[in-house]
Amino acid sequence: MTKTELFPKMNEAIVAGDRETAARLAAEAVTAGLDLTEVVERGYVPGIQKVGELWEQGEYFLPELISSAEAMKAAMAVLEPEFERRHIGSRMGGKVVIGTIEGDIHDIGKNLVASMLQAGGFEVYDLGADVKLERFVDKAEEVGAALICLSALLTTTMINQRRLIGLLQEKGLRGKYKVLVGGAPASKRWAEEIGADGYAENAVAAVRLAKALAGRP
Amino acid sequence: MSLHRLFDLAEARPVLFDGALGTELMARGLPRGGVPELWNVGRPEAVKEIHAAYFAAGADVVSTNSFGGSRIKLAAHGLESRVREINLAAARLAREAAPAGGFVAGSVGPTGKFLKPQGPCVEADLIGAFAEQADGLAAGGVDVFIVETQYDLREALAALRGIRIVSALPVLVTMTFGSFPRGYFTIMGDSAAKCAAELERAGAAAVGANCTLASDQMAGCVRALRAATALPLVAQANAGQPVASPDGTIGYTQSLEDYVSHVPGIVEAGARFVGGCCGTTPSFIRAMARIIGKE
Repeated sequence: MTKTELFPKMNEAIVAGDRETAARLAAEAVTAGLDLTEVVERGYVPGIQKVGELWEQGEYFLPELISSAEAMKAAMAVLEPEFERRHIGSRMGGKVVIGTIEGDIHDIGKNLVASMLQAGGFEVYDLGADVKLERFVDKAEEVGAALICLSALLTTTMINQRRLIGLLQEKGLRGKYKVLVGGAPASKRWAEEIGADGYAENAVAAVRLAKALAGRP
Repeated sequence: MSLHRLFDLAEARPVLFDGALGTELMARGLPRGGVPELWNVGRPEAVKEIHAAYFAAGADVVSTNSFGGSRIKLAAHGLESRVREINLAAARLAREAAPAGGFVAGSVGPTGKFLKPQGPCVEADLIGAFAEQADGLAAGGVDVFIVETQYDLREALAALRGIRIVSALPVLVTMTFGSFPRGYFTIMGDSAAKCAAELERAGAAAVGANCTLASDQMAGCVRALRAATALPLVAQANAGQPVASPDGTIGYTQSLEDYVSHVPGIVEAGARFVGGCCGTTPSFIRAMARIIGKE
């Protein structure tokens, strides 16, 4: 298949949340020796962007969003080894450390954001739920992350988002990372108040924000 | 003939539920990240005091302190071996706080885990966990069950089935809907109408909406449910959205006066069981009692 035939099909596979087709088309692109950066940017990325739009319009819901993110990941899993083999940096974004903050076991929203960030080309280190503040910092230092994303569902645990920023300041690392906050009780105002770098109200907005902070289109 | 005297009451007049429980526990010292349900055995007097405060405010029904009392949820805190003990205590405490004519609803919240393909669980896992929880609540003496704050219709149906294995008591089910351009939907994309119809078919005694929606949005959702079922409807709105203040304390966007001003509209839309959710207190319930003509 040529690019003009492949790209719309890749797009459709992502919008339909069809993992098998998304992965099969990626394999075809590899076999055909296509420019894989172009394959990602013109074949797959428009699909996941369309999914984001459908979600924000209230046409797509959580199951569709998860299926599409999974399809995106399946395609990327096929392309990754090729990028490495050809010594091309495939990841368009930077590294992200994400987790639900200390004291909070709720992880549905966080998982969705992690999944969408990964689908959006970020290298995601998901620390899970009830993550000690020090672990966020240690992991970010270890992997050389650009972003730290903090989730909190409870009004009682969101205060720990502020404490993490304090911890970064104490360690003299605040300038090194962009800190994003999210979760039901968080807000733009809250993010500003605690000195975070941004707030996103849903997974799609989170990817948009992360891209903006990483200086990506 | 009615299946239960609580439903006889609901035919006569709107029945009043209680308001938020977790924030009341925190006001009494539950630490951040603490397990609310553990207070049923650790600080029973505090739990009972809250139930008593809601009854005193005019609530006809209080919900037990067992929202996160399923094995799956408790396992996140290493408490999975104490499901029966915790739920039985939850029911007993509410029972002890109830005056003559006061009702106790056994609260069953979501497990926090998704069913396949979005998550790791299969229906049998959930049904088993809910049956076990319901068994403890029934042993402690609840009058009805309230399966609440459900965001996945499949999980709500699993809860109904699980409860049915161990008890024949009436089950009220509330789902959490968001307001979208095309209407009221769960995060999984099930419409209010679909939820109401399927829950009715599965044997729910009442269906409704709680959490997320503020009181000024609730009447619209109640009308959407009304169009799809003849069952009695439940409505428990949030007091708007949570807002953090500079000192870290949390407030909600709706004042008491604003919140309760929408209660007549909610009742008029068809709700026969009304109560509060996040951000509400015994003061809200007291004001609602006056409005629905209890006092």
